[in-house]
Amino acid sequence: MKKMIAILLCLLAMPVHAIDGAAILKKVDRNLEPESYEMLRKLINVEPDGNKKEFVLYSVKKGRDRIVALFLAPPSDKGRATLRLGDNMWLYIPEVGKPMRITSLQSVTGGVFNNADILRVDYTVEYTVEAATEEKDNYLLILKARTGEVAYDKLKMWVDKKTYLPVDIECYAASGMLIKTLHFKDIKDFGGGIRRPATVETDSPLYKGYKSVMLYAQIKKREFADKVFTLNYLPRVEGMRK
Amino acid sequence: MKRVSVLCACLLAGAAWAEEYSFDAAEFEKKPFEFGGYLEYKPERAWLNRDGAFYALNGLERSTFDRNAATLKLNAKYNQGIASFTLRADAEVRRDELSSERIKRFDEAYVSLKPDPGFTLDTGKQALKWGKGYAWNPVGFVERPKDPNDAELAREGYTMVAADFIRNFDGELRTIAFTPLLLPVSGAVNSDFGKPGHVNVAAKLYFLYRDTDIDLVYLGRGSRTPRFGIDFSRNLTSNLEIHGEWARITDFEQKVTNASGATTTQRESVTSSLLGLRYLCENDATTILEYYRNGTGYTQSQMSDFYRFVDNGLSQFQATASDALLHQALNLARGGYGRPNPMRNYVYAKISQKEPFDILYFTPSFAAIINPGDRSFSLTPELLYTGITNLELRFRLYMLNGDAQTEFGEKQNLRRAELFARYYF
Repeated sequence: MKKMIAILLCLLAMPVHAIDGAAILKKVDRNLEPESYEMLRKLINVEPDGNKKEFVLYSVKKGRDRIVALFLAPPSDKGRATLRLGDNMWLYIPEVGKPMRITSLQSVTGGVFNNADILRVDYTVEYTVEAATEEKDNYLLILKARTGEVAYDKLKMWVDKKTYLPVDIECYAASGMLIKTLHFKDIKDFGGGIRRPATVETDSPLYKGYKSVMLYAQIKKREFADKVFTLNYLPRVEGMRK
Repeated sequence: MKRVSVLCACLLAGAAWAEEYSFDAAEFEKKPFEFGGYLEYKPERAWLNRDGAFYALNGLERSTFDRNAATLKLNAKYNQGIASFTLRADAEVRRDELSSERIKRFDEAYVSLKPDPGFTLDTGKQALKWGKGYAWNPVGFVERPKDPNDAELAREGYTMVAADFIRNFDGELRTIAFTPLLLPVSGAVNSDFGKPGHVNVAAKLYFLYRDTDIDLVYLGRGSRTPRFGIDFSRNLTSNLEIHGEWARITDFEQKVTNASGATTTQRESVTSSLLGLRYLCENDATTILEYYRNGTGYTQSQMSDFYRFVDNGLSQFQATASDALLHQALNLARGGYGRPNPMRNYVYAKISQKEPFDILYFTPSFAAIINPGDRSFSLTPELLYTGITNLELRFRLYMLNGDAQTEFGEKQNLRRAELFARYYF
């Protein structure tokens, strides 16, 4: 009888302990970056022979789905700027002189990172949590794209239980093919309560032997006017730097 | 001992990591004055079309034509509070078998005042680019013509005063931006824009509505006849973009000749339009496809009359040594018959493949401009290599094909090969 009561109690208690994947994903978003911030990033494309190509970007973000990135280096790319508003993306090249629409699967830098990785908005904006399970040190979230315009149809995200920061993310196409894996490393205190991985590394079975790395620096909370995130402002975004 | 070895290995690995991926953000602090640019060397060879009307007009009398060009583009920016000064300078030296030419100009030189992110006032020479098309822009009312063979080439601007007002909203309409401008034309300022003695008024009204870019554009009567238009651009999926332009020009004037050289000025209201797409395949090949209906272009019979007139001029020159008709034809060519793509209908297609056969930083592409009216076309294969930091190497070959009295069959060149070496600093 006692055993039966214990089993019943366990069964009743189970829903209470069910993992709330949506809440975990929300925490991941906020732990990775504040809603509005500015930061510097270095992108490094590493070739199979060890050669590297580097880009430095100044980025500003507001809310959950507005982000601008300005190229500071190398000289051949300096002054280029990209804007993302939800599913819309544009690239401004000073020589061309006007912003043109780009798509999330293209890459403004080449290498394994595409535009969706470089101009990443909150995961909760693009994905819903399809399933959440618990592993030894991590939660495993299965995320499904909200629309067909999202770069990856499905994500498998391993989230550290203690820090609520992602450890690895596998990105899949609608066909089920693995496109790339992101590895989050080197947790660092950026000040202002921001403690997150300073390095994101990616590799892909589609680019065998290649690796791309994103290094983060100077992530600071900062508020911006909505007008900064518009096509007309894109050629002038350099003026936002202090 | 084992533990010490493991520890040493870990420390060495950590040091290697730090060495490999260092990022000193202090190197990228903002400076009030910044400059950069590139230096380019471009040798080229043209194989001439000795049967072409434009070969006869330019009187080259040879089968090949070589040219070397060196270009320095310098960009500088100075920021001080709400003000900034932008400069884009161009210096070129071109030498060919017949002459040499030096060009020095400012493509842009303007002061911006930006008291608020929602308002900017620009004064000076600047290159505004309107429209969404890649190869052509029928709504590009206040800019110098684009060369569809090199659509991304920087162009010289016009001197103007322009303002920019931006408003944001929540909901389906996310942005409205209004860009009015004044563009004066006199003998000394913007003299190639149109008739002197006018301060031209133009404006662009931009909307981001339901994830679609929409522009309404307008140029009032002045140095040019009045015109208005609309363009749009939208991503349909994560790898497909569509765009279009439509422009209406009232009282458009154009000189038209008959085969004997009698010219008349035609005045009519015309409509131009463009529809295009950009598609990224799974194998990283990007396709741009555009159809252009050029309302300001010449008809097939008007172009045939012009070619016959050039033939007559050439016959007169050979018979009497008088080049009067050829001179007249040359003036007509400068007035419109000789501009790039002077006819009514065009198709543009470009396919570029990123890093094929695992060749890093190598992008071959293939572009075609087709005149479906006379079935002539140009094909342009290109090889681009960017594997050396700050150096861009590009090889381009133009191949023109067409019968007599067709657009590409009457051009000056049969083939043209160009090599670019561009160093950024």
